Amino acid sequence: MQTAEAWVATPLRQFLDDARVRVAVLMNASGQVLGQAGFARSTDVMSACALAAAINATAGELGRQLEGKPFEGVHVAGRDQQAHLGVAPTPRGPLLLLSVFDEHTSLGLVQVFFEEFRARIAKAALAIDASAPQLAADFESDLNRNLAALFGRT
Amino acid sequence: MSLVNYATREITCKIVYYGPGRSGKTTNLHYIYSQVPADRKGNMVSLATQTDRTLFFDFLPLDLGSISGFTTKFQLYTVPGQVYYQTTRKLVLQGADGVVFVADSQVRQLDENIESLQDLHANLAEQDIDARTVPLVLQYNKQDLPAGLIHTQVELDDALNFRGVPSFGADALHGPGVFETLRGISELVLRKLSPSGGE
Repeated sequence: MQTAEAWVATPLRQFLDDARVRVAVLMNASGQVLGQAGFARSTDVMSACALAAAINATAGELGRQLEGKPFEGVHVAGRDQQAHLGVAPTPRGPLLLLSVFDEHTSLGLVQVFFEEFRARIAKAALAIDASAPQLAADFESDLNRNLAALFGRT
Repeated sequence: MSLVNYATREITCKIVYYGPGRSGKTTNLHYIYSQVPADRKGNMVSLATQTDRTLFFDFLPLDLGSISGFTTKFQLYTVPGQVYYQTTRKLVLQGADGVVFVADSQVRQLDENIESLQDLHANLAEQDIDARTVPLVLQYNKQDLPAGLIHTQVELDDALNFRGVPSFGADALHGPGVFETLRGISELVLRKLSPSGGE
């Protein structure tokens, strides 16, 4: 498991252990990853988050147009694997948890443990310290070198 | 805002390419995708219509490597430029750390550029964001077209760049200006995380 912010680690680990899902990705509503388990490449995680955030936004808007309130929670049942996307409100704004699971667990179990996760992550969000990040003052040289290398200009 | 993990020293930033329809936002991402080695990028996701216009967004994850000891990753998005995709633009713009405004340099597209720039400011204001505080660069695309058909960079600066932000001429289809634009917005976004804090 990897986390982009340390405060999400314990609730996410607990959810993974309890629900026995194969893949779990926690993100904010803008699609920025906060923690994940099951992916090997960070760039694949970012793609999954962007798509999940889009699904959540689309489902929300669809619900507002059809029922006057956003649809919350999406479940997709595939042949061998299923996906569940849930929304967890926190003091730092809503977070999305995308889970992919197979026959080792069930939708019912995932939903039960997602409810517990919602409570834990909301509580964890209360305790965090949002201190300002700082790069070195001369970060530009690193940036220029890395971008030049990315574009094959070295 | 940028996500920063001090324990693992990772930074993730969201950059949105904004602008009117057919100005070349998706073309920018395609060019970047074509230039970056496979181990430093993810799959480029394009949710497009059958006519190949962006329907929801394009998305490209990039690994910039280590900057000041932080592993730095960028999420590049485009918004659909067509006027009727207003809701989608708002959604994609949420949480953006920086914006690249891609303007179409063609003389006949000036009104669309101005309208799209106003739309950007309105959508930021709707999210309670002061547009003057968001890292922004302008790209004047299609500068490769015949001189009679396009505005010069100076003319476009006069018409669009009232904030005096960095601006770049570009030919996104063939590459000139794409790298410089990405470097420009990267610098502005990361400067916000430096001691000067973007001042």
